Amino acid sequence: MLERVRAVGRVTAPFVAPGRVLGLVGSPGLGLTRLGLALLADPAHGATVAFVDVRGWLSPLSAWEAGIPPKHLIVVRCPGRDIWGQVTAALLEGLSAVYAEVPAGVDGSVLRRLGALARARRAVLILRPLNGRLPSGLAHLKLVAERVHWEGADSGHGRIVRRLLTLRAAGKGVGGIEWLYEVEDEGTDVVRVVSELAAAEAGRAAG
Amino acid sequence: MCVWFPNWPLRRPDAPPDNPCQVVGADGVVTAANDLAFAGGVRVGMPRRRAETLCPSVVTLPADPGAEAAAFEMVARAVETVAPGVEIAEPGLLFLNVSGAVRYYGGEEPLVVRVGQAVGEVASGARLGLADGPFAARMAAAEGAAIVTDTDGFVAGLDISTLGVPEIVGTFRWLGVTTLGDLAALPREAVASRFGQPGLEVYRLARGEDREVSPQPVPQDMEAEERFDPPLQNLEQAAFAARSLAHRLLEVAAPGIPHLVVVEATSAAGEVRSRTWRSADPFTEGEMAERIRWQLRAWVEGGGIPGGMARLRLVPGDRSDSGRQMCFGEDVAAAAESRRALARAQALVGPDAVLQAVPQGGREPGERVRWYRWGEPAPLPIHDPKALWPGRLPDPAPALLPPPRRVEVEWDGECPVRMRLGSRWEKVHNWAGPWRRTGRWWDGEQHADRYQIVTGAGAFLCELHDGDCYLVGIYD
Repeated sequence: MLERVRAVGRVTAPFVAPGRVLGLVGSPGLGLTRLGLALLADPAHGATVAFVDVRGWLSPLSAWEAGIPPKHLIVVRCPGRDIWGQVTAALLEGLSAVYAEVPAGVDGSVLRRLGALARARRAVLILRPLNGRLPSGLAHLKLVAERVHWEGADSGHGRIVRRLLTLRAAGKGVGGIEWLYEVEDEGTDVVRVVSELAAAEAGRAAG
Repeated sequence: MCVWFPNWPLRRPDAPPDNPCQVVGADGVVTAANDLAFAGGVRVGMPRRRAETLCPSVVTLPADPGAEAAAFEMVARAVETVAPGVEIAEPGLLFLNVSGAVRYYGGEEPLVVRVGQAVGEVASGARLGLADGPFAARMAAAEGAAIVTDTDGFVAGLDISTLGVPEIVGTFRWLGVTTLGDLAALPREAVASRFGQPGLEVYRLARGEDREVSPQPVPQDMEAEERFDPPLQNLEQAAFAARSLAHRLLEVAAPGIPHLVVVEATSAAGEVRSRTWRSADPFTEGEMAERIRWQLRAWVEGGGIPGGMARLRLVPGDRSDSGRQMCFGEDVAAAAESRRALARAQALVGPDAVLQAVPQGGREPGERVRWYRWGEPAPLPIHDPKALWPGRLPDPAPALLPPPRRVEVEWDGECPVRMRLGSRWEKVHNWAGPWRRTGRWWDGEQHADRYQIVTGAGAFLCELHDGDCYLVGIYD
């Protein structure tokens, strides 16, 4: 049942906080990059934020659409996994928020050290593993894209306008209980959490 | 205008006039050396041990900036008898804003003569320099060119070593850049690419961009004030109050940090004294407190504050970011940290991999972005972003723009039915388009049709030309 429990102006509130690590897991095309950029939008209004672009594919247009001012977005292209950890650590030392694509093959210990650094520096760290895996316990909150529903395109007519992304949230950020969130994106800089679909049955059973 | 006394710290009674002598600061670096020491190889900025190795007979005196500032107060007062607006940068160096005084005295030359006479009555050996901007004025004083009429030409002819950054200067010389004019003639992108942020800072000086300031008004309530009842009689008590006041000023000025601070003391008798201190970099709390202490000591030793100090007030002259004029919304401390972090990242991945972008016009998502290296000024858009651009893809833009890759798409007539992503076929749930791009047909560029294709695995931007379909964007 889709129950409109809560609507917030920006998507940031339930998902990110200073010193917390957020993991975004899902295959390309589900909308996680756009969600991550929307999460950077709030910190970007007062300071510079960085996007560690491993593949060199990021289009800043979507970042600007998500509400990040152009002068506050730095894109760091870092294809090599050997220096990826150093580069991300250097950024965390001075920036309030970093979105980092994680190349395949990065050691879990590197990710844990980055998590510790983000906590120590009270920086927002959003990790997007390109191989779809994050070590357990690393992220304060892990959001796994379950499905996406696009609206607007209609057999050649219209255009893609609106997206509803269903996310399964797990980790300490949701008290160890799995939650389902539905995130609505209308292509503007307002991305809303329209519902918390349900607490996972497992959690209820435990309670 | 600049009034500079070389080796001001050596103007003290315990400095031997007939022996090599140097003054060393608390950090162990030489701050002044007399001619005999200079002849022996001692240079300002040199570590003490090195100086003593080069000139074993040199007499080393510990720096006493408080006493130096107190002694310099009489020079500041003498200059103030000619024109207001004195800003002390350090003991032995002050700047004077002369825009009004030049008109009052009928020209630059009469003003320089007046200031020279006034200063000469209290101390000998002053060097005066008048030019546009503090850097050029300081260099004019150092070069002995009292009035510089062509500031650009004067700065262009200065030796590259005047920048005072040895690690960069050496590389410039090696590259054949020997004057500031040579440096200013280089493309900004080349300097940014090779030298990063430090290179850009000296490049600004070489091009005279430090003179292009757009001052922002300081809000009237932005000040820190402390009233003392009973009035303070002891300099140590006042120095203690100075520290907390400096802390409060930085709090009220946050997120900016001043690089000009007006120190104002009111005596119990109601007499108000004021002095402006300048710093090339934004003041830290310690530096500001130090200058307040020096100033209070100068006032006390220069006749005292009658009846004690009843009020101490600090007002920021402006707010800045490493000498750059900044707007009031900027957080200087965070900006400085960001710059350091990005400079480290730039050192790791190279200057071409730390990028920013500005929007511009265009039909393709990639065309609508103009990239530039972080640290360089934002370029102007090549294509007008406000133009209509018919045929442009509608928003939202795909978040990812991979290099075009051929994908298999099954069509039923003109409708896409299935799309192969990796090893599996995904059913097309919906689609929109095509948006036709005609391209520069006169250059042989072929037209292409762009489609938005929605599958269960996500939405994609595809381009169809010559019967082949290419994946060019991912709505991720």
